[in-house]
Amino acid sequence: MSAPDSELDKHLRALFGGLDTGADFDARLMARLRAESQTDATERAVRARQQERARYRRAVLELQSWRRSMLRLLTLDTLGVAFLLVVAVVTAWPRLSRDVMDISRQYGPYIAMLLGILIAAVPLLGMWAEQTRRPIRLL
Amino acid sequence: MELVRAERGDEAIALLLPAFRRKVFGLAYSFLRDREAAEDVTQEVFIKVWRALPGFDGRASMSTWIYTIARNASLSALRARRPQSSLSDPEVMDAVETVDPAPSADAVVDRAALLRLVDQLPTKQRQVIMLFYMEEQSHEEVSTMLAMPVGTVKTLLHRARARLSAAAGKTSATA
Repeated sequence: MSAPDSELDKHLRALFGGLDTGADFDARLMARLRAESQTDATERAVRARQQERARYRRAVLELQSWRRSMLRLLTLDTLGVAFLLVVAVVTAWPRLSRDVMDISRQYGPYIAMLLGILIAAVPLLGMWAEQTRRPIRLL
Repeated sequence: MELVRAERGDEAIALLLPAFRRKVFGLAYSFLRDREAAEDVTQEVFIKVWRALPGFDGRASMSTWIYTIARNASLSALRARRPQSSLSDPEVMDAVETVDPAPSADAVVDRAALLRLVDQLPTKQRQVIMLFYMEEQSHEEVSTMLAMPVGTVKTLLHRARARLSAAAGKTSATA
């Protein structure tokens, strides 16, 4: 390299050698990073709240499904109980008074059927309330 | 690697800053020729690095990765900013002159003239000249920063020096 080139090198080094950011660059950057961290934390909190809400919705749906299945079981159970009641009444009826026997001969099946329907209607009403989102007081 | 072990991103950045701050700033400055814009881009680069650091897979070296981010950020800033400032603009002159705390009047004149000459160089030559003299004359570092072969850096540097020498000769002859 010739002498003028060395001089040129010297000038260029002096010109660009000390080029650097401002003194407060690091502090400003770290402050921005802290601010970004807080923003990230807020976003994480929002995401967590959304996930929690979704989990709650899933749990409510599962609970509703469980209640519906319980109501179905109860309905079958109640129908069974009603049937047994009818059978029991019909079986016990001959031992009661003749007047009652006479009445029962005429109206007994209807009364038993009505009773059975009433007993069976309770869970059916519950199911209807569940479907129409009314509060259920049976469970 | 120390950076991978650093669980908190800001700790990783605190480790990266001393090693890369000047280089990233120099690279941004070589594109933008504006101190304030280069600082903004440098901040953006480190924030991008901080965000992307957990996903850094180490396929490329850390410096190559950071310089790629810096080049892309600088080009985006350059595209977003029109018209371009020039190295010989008074603001740029002031910014570069702050490097020397107390330059003599002759030195300021020389610097102004030299800056104008550098400013007139083709973009790549100007970038190579700036980064080369900023980065303590490392051809390899400049080639990594600008993503060009070392040979190309050497050629560009040689041509830029030749141009500057010729132009400086003309300037001194006419003075």
